[in-house]
Amino acid sequence: MYYLEVVILVVSFIGFLALGVPIAYSIGLSSLFTMLVSILPIPAFTTIAQRMANGLDSFALLAIPFFILAGQLMNRGGIASRLIEFAKVIVGRLPGGLAFVNILACMLFGAISGSAVAAASAIGGFMNPRMVKEGYDRSFAAAVNIASSTTGMIIPPSNILIVYSLAAGGVGVSIGALFLAGYIPGILVGLSLMVVAGFVSYKKRYPTAGKTGFVEALKILLDAIPSLFLLVVVIGGIVAGIFTATEASAVAVVYTLLLSMIYREIKAKDIPGILLDTVGTTSIVMILIATSIGMSWVMSYENIPQTVSEALLSLSDNKIVILIIINLILLFVGMFMDMTPAVLIFTPIFLPVVMRLGMDPVHFGIIMVLNLCVGICTPPVGSVLFVGCSVAKISIDKVIKPLLPLFVAMIVTLLIVSFVPELSLWLPRLFGF
Amino acid sequence: MRRIIDSILEKLLISILTLMVINVVLQVFARFAGISIPFTEELAGFLLMWTGLLGAGYATGKGMHLAIDIFPRKATPENQVKFNWIINGFVILFAFLVMVVGGFRLVYIALSLDQLSPVMQIPKGYVYLVLPFSGIMIVYYSILNIIEGPSQPHETGDTIAEKLN
Repeated sequence: MYYLEVVILVVSFIGFLALGVPIAYSIGLSSLFTMLVSILPIPAFTTIAQRMANGLDSFALLAIPFFILAGQLMNRGGIASRLIEFAKVIVGRLPGGLAFVNILACMLFGAISGSAVAAASAIGGFMNPRMVKEGYDRSFAAAVNIASSTTGMIIPPSNILIVYSLAAGGVGVSIGALFLAGYIPGILVGLSLMVVAGFVSYKKRYPTAGKTGFVEALKILLDAIPSLFLLVVVIGGIVAGIFTATEASAVAVVYTLLLSMIYREIKAKDIPGILLDTVGTTSIVMILIATSIGMSWVMSYENIPQTVSEALLSLSDNKIVILIIINLILLFVGMFMDMTPAVLIFTPIFLPVVMRLGMDPVHFGIIMVLNLCVGICTPPVGSVLFVGCSVAKISIDKVIKPLLPLFVAMIVTLLIVSFVPELSLWLPRLFGF
Repeated sequence: MRRIIDSILEKLLISILTLMVINVVLQVFARFAGISIPFTEELAGFLLMWTGLLGAGYATGKGMHLAIDIFPRKATPENQVKFNWIINGFVILFAFLVMVVGGFRLVYIALSLDQLSPVMQIPKGYVYLVLPFSGIMIVYYSILNIIEGPSQPHETGDTIAEKLN
């Protein structure tokens, strides 16, 4: 058995994290130490270096920087504000209208940009001051923004689903199928958050955002159509097989660039700054991916997935029990790990287990991402939580309390999606995947 | 010195990203026009490798990497100096052993085996040079981080939010 390797991997990883070593390097170092148990130093260094470099040499991963860039362009290009106005026309008249507007706008923006962090900063930046001005608690406004930003990870296009399809590797999970599978669960999360937000708003008597006249509503709708059309191009193009996810993301970059230049919100001189911001975000994600691929390789070399899989199946061979255990482990992992490394490291471990129990890999991908969405909103490591708090200018401990009922809504949705596979699989099947 | 290297690295990274976008857009348009450009996919992968690894160096310089800084932040100023030493020391350890030593060996192996990329026929060893190069950047920036002391903590949202309050 390989218990020694598992212990070294887990203990050294937690140790490095606790010391404050950046997560990407903690992953790399603990993989290195684990490898040194069974491989000589110089070959071990070389192998990890090679895994890191070849892991990044991937056309599929290229979609990530492009969707990040498209998100940055949308953020500054006046697309966020148009989507917010659009959301206001649809849900603004409900009690607690702005909370609903915040959620719907996050769903739309997150969907279009494929990134929860982008949604949290773009929509939060606009919505938080407005909500505070209308008498909402700052902490509630931030919590709603943070939780609903995660829907963008599930509603396509989504970077993390591309990473999952890569991590699933040999099983062959199509990105198109994953994207289609994300729609219903993503919308369900949004709706469940709206239920909680509506209940809180009703209790605290938050105001409606007011009705919009018909002519104005029509004008706002027409204004939002070019932004929404991007979704049709990207998803339609991928599902119809016209282009790959990476090509679609490049098209998204060109489209948003043209749109924001037409809106005159971005000038040529702003572009280097936007590119540099994109490079920064991209490199943080990419080095995490590189070292995670290294760790995932070390684990399969040390037979860790088989060890874990046997241990899990010896506990029970009941699908429901195993799924609950996996969900609990992932919820815990999500607290300490960012989503991308978690998907890259745990997919090879858990996917064989659930597939042996007859689960569809597309369905499992949605469960995994939905689950880790809770993790990116929880301390101590939660990228969306950090960004959401910093744009709302509020400290993290104040947001936790209003976040709790929203977490409950997300976890209930997670359970429903886990145990009703049709919610994920119906749409992809409809389109023949 | 730091500023000059920062600015060179920034310009390099912006150029690579721009090239990546142009490259893939070209691929899409070429396909619609019925022309096939054979090298775009391979080039795209190499460019991503370069951005990711060079960017890791850049991010180290800017203190942008995600870290859990609960313990270092709560430590006394003297202990913060120690944490700063330890954290950057481990980063140097990884960058030096894996990226510089392992990277150079990878370059050497690829060159001595005459590995060529399948489409463009570039020696893979040159492509892998980005590994030791980025490793050296990371070591350089980490040494600077040690010399300059723990004045710039890792900017997680936690610290940002705290500053804003």
